[in-house]
Amino acid sequence: MNLSLPPILALLVFPGGLFLIAGGLIYQWADRKLVARFQNRIGPRFIQPLADTLKLLAKEEITPVGVHKGLFFALPAIALAAALTAGLYIPLFGFQPASSFRGDLIIALYALSVLTLTMGVAGANTISRFSLVGATRTLTQLFSYEAPFLLSLLGPAIAAGTWQISEINTYAGQNLWLMIAQPIGFVVAMIGLMGKLELPPFDAPEAETEIVAGAMTEYSGRGFALFRLGKDVELIIGLTLVSAFYLGGLANPLEFVFKTLALLLVLALLQTAFARLRIDQTVGLWWRAGALLAVVQLIAIVLGRNLGSIF
Amino acid sequence: MAADTNKFVIPIGPQHPALKEPANFEFWVDGEIVTGASVRLGYVHRGIEKGAEARTWTQNLYLMERICGICSHVHATAYTLGVEKLAGVKVPQRANAIRQLMAELERIHSHMLWLGVAAHEGGFDTLFMYSWRDRETVMDLLEKISGNKVHYSANLLGGVKFDITSELAAEIHKGLDFLEERNHFYMKVVTTDETFIGRTQDIGTMTTEKAEFLGAIGPTARASGVARDIRVDAPYLIYDQFPVKVMTHTSGDLHGRFIVRINETFESIRIIREILDHMPQGELTTRVPRRIPAGEVVSRVEAPRGELLYFIASNGSEKPERVKVRTPSLCNWSTVLSLAIGLKLADMPMLLSGIDPCFSCNDRSISLKRGQQGPQVWSWEKLRQYGIEYYR
Amino acid sequence: MASTIGSLGAAEAVLKPFAKAINRPQPERLEVSIHPDDLLAAVRALVDESWGYLSAIVGLDRPGQPVTQGESQAEGAIDVLYLFCSGAAVVTLRITLPYSQAAIPTISGITPTAMLYEWELREMLGVEVIGLRVTGHLILADDWPVGVYPLRKSFTGFNQPVAGAEGA
Repeated sequence: MNLSLPPILALLVFPGGLFLIAGGLIYQWADRKLVARFQNRIGPRFIQPLADTLKLLAKEEITPVGVHKGLFFALPAIALAAALTAGLYIPLFGFQPASSFRGDLIIALYALSVLTLTMGVAGANTISRFSLVGATRTLTQLFSYEAPFLLSLLGPAIAAGTWQISEINTYAGQNLWLMIAQPIGFVVAMIGLMGKLELPPFDAPEAETEIVAGAMTEYSGRGFALFRLGKDVELIIGLTLVSAFYLGGLANPLEFVFKTLALLLVLALLQTAFARLRIDQTVGLWWRAGALLAVVQLIAIVLGRNLGSIF
Repeated sequence: MAADTNKFVIPIGPQHPALKEPANFEFWVDGEIVTGASVRLGYVHRGIEKGAEARTWTQNLYLMERICGICSHVHATAYTLGVEKLAGVKVPQRANAIRQLMAELERIHSHMLWLGVAAHEGGFDTLFMYSWRDRETVMDLLEKISGNKVHYSANLLGGVKFDITSELAAEIHKGLDFLEERNHFYMKVVTTDETFIGRTQDIGTMTTEKAEFLGAIGPTARASGVARDIRVDAPYLIYDQFPVKVMTHTSGDLHGRFIVRINETFESIRIIREILDHMPQGELTTRVPRRIPAGEVVSRVEAPRGELLYFIASNGSEKPERVKVRTPSLCNWSTVLSLAIGLKLADMPMLLSGIDPCFSCNDRSISLKRGQQGPQVWSWEKLRQYGIEYYR
Repeated sequence: MASTIGSLGAAEAVLKPFAKAINRPQPERLEVSIHPDDLLAAVRALVDESWGYLSAIVGLDRPGQPVTQGESQAEGAIDVLYLFCSGAAVVTLRITLPYSQAAIPTISGITPTAMLYEWELREMLGVEVIGLRVTGHLILADDWPVGVYPLRKSFTGFNQPVAGAEGA
């Protein structure tokens, strides 16, 4: 579906900006609610994520001793901005991306990495012990899942023969679902997404029973709210990317809602099914299994293309 | 960033999400590897031993029950058994059977609580939620018997307050069937879930010799193959008529502690069923004098966490001369400090909860208020040096 | 029960050389009074024999009773009881220390588990444990006044707030 809006509206209101944030909050709610139901809890009310955000925004922001003040305030804004920037290049809500050019896949992915990076830097910026350990873990995890996740999104890109997200989306919509054509890539992408979002069992960077809130321990009020919003936006973008690439593309809003929610359901199930991995186990898993699987998938795709098979 | 050294110290407690009760642990880490550990207890001292000397024998029963919110019944049982021995009173068998029944129900509730807490420390919140949901069943049973979920106050000096009617027995049977089924499920999860095994197997392994050397007791010791259980070694109540099997495991790691505790839950379920089916008939109480004859007595029972020892001295008056409580958690601390070295920081919460620490167990002697100076800690190096130099 | 009697007999044989008095308050208990100087040797003998394990150390304050005729009070004493358990059998080593000589050697070199108990004994009853290598407080507050031992009978609470503490 195509939509022509003035660029400024596209950027600030729809599909970027406000809508993206609202969508992120709704998906956060859906995620929390699903996990809660799987764990036999009641879960939050629909309005809860918004209420949390508004409350945090209104609250006093405490500046801890020993931080670089400029960085401390700038990092949350950079994080949210990076996440929103990534939103410009992907087919959000089933519409054409607000902006599209050749190679935007790489930009979108790196904008998402910037979000994680800022969280790591934010943790390292403080002198809190929990934050420092959390930051180390966040960055360690970044280096472990990033490569396999990128490789897993590269599969569809190679199959489609383009680095442009909108074109891959169209390609995916016209061909056999890539989830079936490239099952390994799909699995790696799903797990990579969980790593990226620091969802259980990959939540070692914010393991509350060890390091309280990890890199975010010292953040409160507005800064914390912005980081959280950034995370929510990352969730919706991640879901959109994976479903656009692997679940047969997103041609209209209805498809978007169904496919991303189906993916979220799987994600929530996976979150409830495991114990938290230690950071060394996470890294080991990614480099031993994740990267290897993704490479195998890539080789298969390249071979398949050259041999002219269904890939 | 420790103030005194260049060691990187991660403090856990006195306020920390991993701890539901106050204590202070300091772990010195090198990256993620723990290189040292220390503990400081006593944040919630309540002066119970001192307080006992100012109360009558009957009042103390209720005071002792409040030492612990999890194993309240077993404390009261240890106390009443001691006092009854001093007074030379023979308690009716039916009362003993009901005490034992309550004690085993309490063990189920304590072990299921521990299972949830330990899973939560390992980031396995689903197991936490499930086990605590199912734990409600046993707590409801306790409530049906006594009217309370936590402090049942089933004991009296010389008997018990509550009878088990046939309707109650039927309800308990029903509850136990459900609990047994659920625990089979947990056993399956604990022994088959890959991530869970990855977090527990070969973590904090303690050999039998080490367990004995460090004085470990209870399920922690039994998971290391130390077959020590007061219920078997020195049967009290009617454990001689309804004997339990000692559950041991040879692995000695965290995983073994999970298996031992779940197996003990099954054993408790079995014992409760047996008691319900062969409940002795008779009175519930007998008379105990207000003044207890002078003397000293040692009373030992097996609490969910291990051996609980009461030393009670009487001077022949209405109040005890001295009540000394040696709780099980105290014995197991040294195992944690010793096992921590070389493990990952991420293993610490699970290791800590692996012994099923009960802070009210430790902190019962006396307290005024918190101090304002920095904590004085018992450093691991001192302890280790100690062990090296002296244990030859 | 037979094995309990047997193991008590074994313990009695081991401890006989050190005993000032031996009695059996209950069928499963053996109480041996010893001199403080013999403590280490007695504990060592039990441990060498692998007889049970140290289960607790109990301090008992026995303040002196006022003498009826005179005005002076007899000196009080602290009994330190070492409880060793093996199966159902409990062996108590009893040491009586007058207030003026309230000091015992540490046995934590022989059984390391004793350390916490001895620490508690020192803190709560003011029995100096010679050779115990820990300092500072285990359970009392850090600003607890020096020389005040809460489990002594003479301690009946603070009348005035202690300096530095938030209240008493």
